[in-house]
Amino acid sequence: MAHREVLSPPGKRVIMLGNVAIARGFLEAGLQFAAAYPGTPSTEIVEALSTAAKLLGGKPYVEWSVNEKVALEAALGAAIAGARSMAAMKHVGLNVAADPFFSSAYLGVDGALVVVSADDPWMWSSQNEQDNRWYGLHAYIPVVEPTGPQDAKEAAKLALLYSEKYKRPFILRTTTRIAHTRVPVDTGEIPVDRLEPRGEFHKDPSRWTLVPQYARRKRVELLEFWDKISVELASFPLNGTEGSGSLAIVGVGLGYRYAREAARILGVEDDVTVYKIATSVPFPRPMAEKILGHDTVLVVEEGDPVAEIQLKTIAQEEGLRARILGKRDNLLPRYGELGLEKVVNALSKLVGKEPPKWAVDPPTSVEEKLPPRPPVLCPGCPYRGFFYALRRAVNKLRLKPVYSGDIGCYSLGVLPPFHVQDTIIEMGGSIGAGNGFAHVLRGDSDITIAIIGDSTFFHSGITPLLNAVYNNAPLLVIVLDNHTTAMTGHQPHPGTGIRAIGEPGYAMSIESVARGVGVGKVLVADPFDVKDSEAKLLEALRYVKEEKKPAVLIAKGACILVALRAAYRRGIKPVIYRVNIDKCTGCGICYTVFNCPAILRREDRKAEIDPALCTGCGVCAQICPFNAFEPVSELNPEWFKIMRTAKPEQ
Amino acid sequence: MQKDALNIVVTGVGGQGQITLARVIAEAALIRGINAIVAETHGLSQRGGTVIVHVRLGNADAPLIPPGAAHVLLSMELIEAARYSHYLARDSIAVVNDYLVPPPLPGIKVPSTDELVSTIKERAGSLVIIPATQKALETGDVRVANMMLLGAAIEAGAFRDYIDMSSAEKAIQSVLGKAARQNIAALHNGAELARKAIKQ
Ligand SMILES: Cc1ncc(C[n+]2csc(CCOP(=O)(O)OP(=O)(O)O)c2C)c(N)n1
Ligand code: SF4
Repeated sequence: MAHREVLSPPGKRVIMLGNVAIARGFLEAGLQFAAAYPGTPSTEIVEALSTAAKLLGGKPYVEWSVNEKVALEAALGAAIAGARSMAAMKHVGLNVAADPFFSSAYLGVDGALVVVSADDPWMWSSQNEQDNRWYGLHAYIPVVEPTGPQDAKEAAKLALLYSEKYKRPFILRTTTRIAHTRVPVDTGEIPVDRLEPRGEFHKDPSRWTLVPQYARRKRVELLEFWDKISVELASFPLNGTEGSGSLAIVGVGLGYRYAREAARILGVEDDVTVYKIATSVPFPRPMAEKILGHDTVLVVEEGDPVAEIQLKTIAQEEGLRARILGKRDNLLPRYGELGLEKVVNALSKLVGKEPPKWAVDPPTSVEEKLPPRPPVLCPGCPYRGFFYALRRAVNKLRLKPVYSGDIGCYSLGVLPPFHVQDTIIEMGGSIGAGNGFAHVLRGDSDITIAIIGDSTFFHSGITPLLNAVYNNAPLLVIVLDNHTTAMTGHQPHPGTGIRAIGEPGYAMSIESVARGVGVGKVLVADPFDVKDSEAKLLEALRYVKEEKKPAVLIAKGACILVALRAAYRRGIKPVIYRVNIDKCTGCGICYTVFNCPAILRREDRKAEIDPALCTGCGVCAQICPFNAFEPVSELNPEWFKIMRTAKPEQ
Repeated sequence: MQKDALNIVVTGVGGQGQITLARVIAEAALIRGINAIVAETHGLSQRGGTVIVHVRLGNADAPLIPPGAAHVLLSMELIEAARYSHYLARDSIAVVNDYLVPPPLPGIKVPSTDELVSTIKERAGSLVIIPATQKALETGDVRVANMMLLGAAIEAGAFRDYIDMSSAEKAIQSVLGKAARQNIAALHNGAELARKAIKQ
């Protein structure tokens, strides 16, 4: 069970990941209902809550939902029925959930609802950089931001309590360096009895239905709430003021930590007043008025200039003439993450102090002299052999494929030598955009191949597949079914039949779904068997070309990391492989075309296996034309079974 | 009153145990009442990509270490040690695993160990290189190589008086639980390797 420290006894100081601290904060505030779809950097919140729920006998209720929209709807439903609820997602997840999100502002709740949005500046694990505090402004939903991982627990707790007090949804916005930073956290009491997931629904169509007659009234009430909360957030316990110098630094969220340390590094603590802001939307009006009393104001925030623009608006409205600096004037960069060097530099210009050498003249990186190291498919990943077979099948039929790609480990197929991701848009986009490709790419050898993972298929692949069947889009949909959501750290999904807290659920069959929506050709391949994969691919591709209809091919083989864990747990050690140097001719297929990271090229071009990296998947033995790969000892058939079937375990 | 910040950059290739290494350092500091803050790399980069973890002990607020301000570089791999060597301050120390993982991109040119070592030396005040992975493979479990690196770094004095062998042992106990025994053994093996390396 992951993140057990979430249940550490009260009164202790325990090192926790920001996300685990957030989970702890929710538990201390009496959370009853949690739903999420995994996404970096938000995932560990619900992983930790799952562990808690498992150990506390189902308190609170925790689920992995099928996608973010459903997660938010489920949490909203529970909150309407009086439960203290939360839904967690990565920044782009809120795009998926935007529809119920906007409605939730109008509806309000009877219990509490916190929507956690984990933003990822500089896109460490994301397709875009998106500051979801805009969503707060846009939907009239207040935003709480921890001012660093140091108070992530308190921020989560307070967000839930405030939501309960005002009966309105709140956003808890984190960023990567809050979510994935570990700090000592002081634990408080968890009121275990209050976590019981139990609600009561009070029928009242004037409250719970958004028909125009009610929605119009609610719109007016929402604006009244907004004006009121803009004032009342000034007393939010994590907001505060430090120092009394003439220069104002507004440290918003994590920006506060950079501001504080930068002032210390420059030795100007006495020359500045640091305003610590944990409620960036709406910017607390009384604090803004104090801040705007300074001649010069530096705003330090992670993401877009959301606080800065609000301050400028308030200054305009109040006729105040403070000079407000930050990102709009590029004193701080408008993209990427904050860094001490950036904040120290900006501040030094305002206080006229010499910054340390590393801030003005950072040593240059030798990066360009080194080979890049992008993430790659793991040694033993089922996708490697399958992509190898895919390229062979497409070449055999002399087709001109467009690989409509998607988001998951298989996105790494964008790299050489595979090149099997021509577009990557958003989750579900492979089949969705594939509909468009398929209708306009009409040449004889053109073929659209959508490649989607199992978790992504359940998340948002079914509706576009239905669309393809309905509209006769000639495309091949490949579902890479590795029985897990691998990219985000191996969560289960509806296909696995395992639920968040480890209990059994219904195991949805992708074949049945495909047949159910009317796909005429549904095939299953074994990605660890290159010949089988190639044969099935040829059959499916021919069907799409000849029948001009969609086909679905499901490649079923476990994520090797999950398989290895399952094997270790059962005391099975996979037998690794080695190269028989006499047989190896140095043709290079294995380390170039197949490209397993465990296979190295020797000086003489012959292959060599790194025993520290080999997982024993054995696929290299199938692709070597000279049978040069051999197991180091007798093979265990049990391992080959596990490789194909392993599922994540709680 | 907390001591001045000690900035430690931990690097390597995804999957080599950088996060566990950083966790143990933070835990060892906390055991001695010293504040710790560890900014980790999760998600995509864990698939065999380049990994950097920022560990700050003592009086630190911000999670990230700026280039040029690290006192210590611990690297599980040579190319990654070179890649992040510009994080080091002038009077710093690098403790590096003598292990080179060529990025699996077809046709890529990989620098030699000598070239990499001289790149790291240009930045590091001192450099200790130990064969952690090789030794770990000999003991039958490659996963303990990270604790060998930790032992070597403590032996080399990289952590000054912020953490020591005994707090590291306790930290391993609390972070690694059932796997503590072989990891503590690895810690001492690493210290031994460092003694040999420094003598040479
Ligand atoms: C809307 C949205 N939610 C979540 C994510 C985070 N995310 C990236 S890939 C992925 C799932 C991948 O699972 P799967 O499709 O099974 O592929 P695998 O990683 O197992 O290969 C998730 C949840 C995202 N990018 N977008
Ligand atoms: S984590 Fe699993 S699915 Fe992802 S690349 Fe590795 S083996 Fe493949």
